[in-house]
Amino acid sequence: MSRNQSLTSNVDWGLLIVFFLMLGMGVANVYSVAYNEDHPNFFDFSQKYGKQILWIGFSLFLGIVVFLIDSDIYRKFAIPIYLFCIGMLVLVLFMPAVNGAHAWLGFGSLGIQPAEFAKIGTAIALGRYINGLNVNQQNVKTVILANIILLGPMVLILMQPDAGSFVVFTSFLFVMYREGLTYDPIVLKLVNLIPGIKFKSTWVGSHFIPILFAVVFLSLVTLLMSNNVLTFEFWPGLEIPGFYGVLISLLLLALFSYFILRWISSKRDRSKVTVIVLIGFIMAAGISTTVNVGFQGLAIHQKERIELFLGMREDPNGDDYNRNRAMAAVGSGGLTGKGYKNASLASVESNHVPESETDFIFCPLAEEWGFVGSVVIMFLFMFMLIRIITIAERQKSRFNRVYAYSVAMIIFYHFAINIGMNIGFAPVIGIPLPFFSYGGSSMMSFSVMMFILIKLDSQRNEVLS
Amino acid sequence: MNTDARRYVILIFFLVIGVIYSIRLFYMQVVDDSWTLRAQEIAEKRHVVVPPRGIVKDRNGKKIVINKTYYNLMMCEKDIKHFDTIAFAKLIGWTPEKVKYRFKEIYYEEGFDKNPKTKVRNVPRYQKMRKYAFVKEMTTEEMAEIAPYLGNFPGFNEEITSMRSYPYANAANILGYVSEVNGQEVEEDRFYRSGDNIGRAGLERFYETDLRGRKGVHYIVTSAMNNAIEPYANGKYDTTAKQGPVLNLSVDIDLQAYGESLMVNKRGCIVAIEPSSGEILAMVSAPTFDPNLFVGKRATSQNYPRLLLDKDKPLYPRPLQAEYPPGSIFKLLQSVIALQEGAITVNTGFPCNKSLVGCHNHPNAGNIMEAVQMSCNPYYYQAVRRIIQGGRKKGLYADAEEGLRIWSKYMQSFGLGHKLESDIPGIRGGLIPDPNYYDNEFPSKKRPYGHHQWAFSTIRSISIGQGEVKVTPLQMANIAALIANRGWFYTPHFVKSIGKQGPKPVYRKKNYTMVKSQHFDPVIEGMRRVVNEGGGTARRARLEDIIICGKTGTAQNPQGEDHSVFIAFAPMNNPKIAISVYVENAGAGGQWAAPIASLMIEKYLKNKITDPEKEKRILEANLMNVVKKGK
Repeated sequence: MSRNQSLTSNVDWGLLIVFFLMLGMGVANVYSVAYNEDHPNFFDFSQKYGKQILWIGFSLFLGIVVFLIDSDIYRKFAIPIYLFCIGMLVLVLFMPAVNGAHAWLGFGSLGIQPAEFAKIGTAIALGRYINGLNVNQQNVKTVILANIILLGPMVLILMQPDAGSFVVFTSFLFVMYREGLTYDPIVLKLVNLIPGIKFKSTWVGSHFIPILFAVVFLSLVTLLMSNNVLTFEFWPGLEIPGFYGVLISLLLLALFSYFILRWISSKRDRSKVTVIVLIGFIMAAGISTTVNVGFQGLAIHQKERIELFLGMREDPNGDDYNRNRAMAAVGSGGLTGKGYKNASLASVESNHVPESETDFIFCPLAEEWGFVGSVVIMFLFMFMLIRIITIAERQKSRFNRVYAYSVAMIIFYHFAINIGMNIGFAPVIGIPLPFFSYGGSSMMSFSVMMFILIKLDSQRNEVLS
Repeated sequence: MNTDARRYVILIFFLVIGVIYSIRLFYMQVVDDSWTLRAQEIAEKRHVVVPPRGIVKDRNGKKIVINKTYYNLMMCEKDIKHFDTIAFAKLIGWTPEKVKYRFKEIYYEEGFDKNPKTKVRNVPRYQKMRKYAFVKEMTTEEMAEIAPYLGNFPGFNEEITSMRSYPYANAANILGYVSEVNGQEVEEDRFYRSGDNIGRAGLERFYETDLRGRKGVHYIVTSAMNNAIEPYANGKYDTTAKQGPVLNLSVDIDLQAYGESLMVNKRGCIVAIEPSSGEILAMVSAPTFDPNLFVGKRATSQNYPRLLLDKDKPLYPRPLQAEYPPGSIFKLLQSVIALQEGAITVNTGFPCNKSLVGCHNHPNAGNIMEAVQMSCNPYYYQAVRRIIQGGRKKGLYADAEEGLRIWSKYMQSFGLGHKLESDIPGIRGGLIPDPNYYDNEFPSKKRPYGHHQWAFSTIRSISIGQGEVKVTPLQMANIAALIANRGWFYTPHFVKSIGKQGPKPVYRKKNYTMVKSQHFDPVIEGMRRVVNEGGGTARRARLEDIIICGKTGTAQNPQGEDHSVFIAFAPMNNPKIAISVYVENAGAGGQWAAPIASLMIEKYLKNKITDPEKEKRILEANLMNVVKKGK
């Protein structure tokens, strides 16, 4: 197969179409939210929608450049790219602070955020590193080295400070998990210190990352509900206060997953499924109860601090105000929404939801298109994520697979945290919704990230490793 | 180690979040509508449009209450920038101290809400982004002077408003006035909001719900800065403001004005009614005031205390609330009751026996006409004794009790002793004693006469309209009207129609008295003689071509000079106007009250005055300082 047969051969059209669909919906949404009656022209470059079109145009130009470059370059030049990103992250710390963070490199409105591009650099570096390892070669040294690749940019980003991007970098842990690069060697070392124990592997160590995240997620939900102020309304009139609602939700989730898993698993595995779900439920309920009891046992000022962090109290920074406004905008959308350009809360003009064109871009979407529109967005993201995982799994090169998983996890993190912020499920940390939020850095970085993935995928058969 | 299966862990992770988020979105957007309410609270503002009040016209279609455009100078603290207090004070003609004080005043006027935590009222209602009236009620001219310079003071702008205006400076006691609602009224009636006007007295108050009209509500989507962005749902839920309907009065504003001019420098009142309809033509309360004095908060705050403290009580609505002893005019009613009860016949005569009750010198009355004409006190002493002590029951006291019971029922049927249902607030009912009154209330509630402890001789002064009997001037005019009608009356009222809607049903119902109509004729003949024949007490009221029937009265006043009373109607057949005139401390009825009534009747029926001398005498008379009996 000739390398220059065609630039567009082997391109994953499904992913590309969803990508363009999102870009189109995104810019239409920015037009709606930032609409200025004095400047109705869609291409008015003095307005945010005009600028967003410029950013998209520039991103597509970068995309074409990416398509023209042989994909092998990323693997070859992974270390220089990574170091360049680190250099930018160091440089940005010497730039003047904007909104209290040294996050912008450049002049005025033409600045870029190195943190956005550092994600690509880190993904490439991690791919290069894991690509060079044997599949079964995981020991304390390799795990620590992989973590150092992540920690470099993470520490620099925390110095800006930019909590949102920092959290997003933990998504690489899932990529490592997928590649078998887990904390098991460290756990084994610790466990085998105990006399008489000689494990070859531990289940907890192997699945440390997802377990950790499940526990953190469950703990957060439990904490949010533990004062029994918030209630679950399972049915109109059937309201269960806080913590008991969490337990009942867990039970329902367990039953639901039990029947799903039984349905999809083979006959041989059915008894196994029963045991796994049962153990999972008992553990989850146990963790939830422990967290709840522990929280109730805390001193009042400690409780207050945690409540403040979770946004359950009004805080001086006004995060709770933002989230409250955002949730009102989302919730008032109803089934079919208020109509295009009819957001009464989320439009920039009304300014009831701050940052509604960037971090809270989901608000105008949900308010104008209602539940129907919201579900379409959920569906598009789910489709895109599953598509990327599918692409990842068909790669012959481990480098490509790590990169694809990185893209999936980064987009998933942005999606989950950003929308979670809008519906009260995540703390308010400012990270954009990929392809929708207004802004040049995120638009360019996500587009380039996507084009590199598509380019890598289109040349997947040429790579030998 | 094969880690391929781990893709499913990640996929399930994605899907679980996707499903949880979708369920959450479904719950927030479709099931739970509290977020929608919250959103409305945040972004939608009701903009209430207060319509101008309904205007008022007199019986000839003349506008007597209209609305005039005024301006409020509005202030919005959020928009104020680089405020130059001294320049601004100079512009609006205030002192800088007053300007500074006004800012504080607005802040405190808004009041405070309870702090939910401390339960103390210390949360100010004042909002920096709301507009407040900094200077209220500026005229168009005043606003025109400062408007060109307002651009130098961001945060200040003009807002149009309307206030009452009275082209005729008359009828203040009828029309009443409007002023800003107080906190209690806002809480009682959700129609009102702070700053709205409400009718305070007179027709403005009685017809408040009609005159105030219907407020318009515009739902507006607003920004976080409180700027209007667009009508909510394209104005689907908006309602338009509707001005209250025109109030068409029965009052003849020219007659009213004439009556007020006649009563200048006098205390008392005139009430004129059209007998055939019960419509009040004029109701003068003297001394009176210009209704324009109560237009706007500034003027009201200056004038109200002054008028309230005036020793002649211009704010006191005498025709409605002054309960005077009726004096001799009461004899008209005693006559018809006596005739109806058969206590006397038309030709019954009584000697003028001054040992029973005092009287002036006149021939004995040989029949009821002469008794009315000469207003013979002993005649009525004897006639009313026959009504009260009618021999209906055995025993003097029981008989008197039964007689008074029947007598008071008659009086009640004349609209006395209880409040008339006229369309104006603050009416009093006067007093007609009944057996219960003497049993339990008179002379005092602590020590009343007691059951069967009184008879006619105890209560004899009621026979000539003195003593316990009390009647308001409005009721006196109604007496004249029911006599003119020969035995029935419509409840006196001011409003002929509200917009296109006729008078209230209560004013279209004839009230029949307990006296048959034929018994009124001899009394009316007597009233004709009072005015038109020699020996009549009201010769001053006589007109050449209009037959006036009247009756004078002189109400004894232990505090000073007697009150001059006169009631009349004219013409004798087909009466067009019934009138009562009450002049305080003016001596005998014929002296002042009768000529005033005569002038009013002529003015109304002919619209010209044939005897300028009579008019001049009244206009120039000053009875304000005649309090003590001139002896």
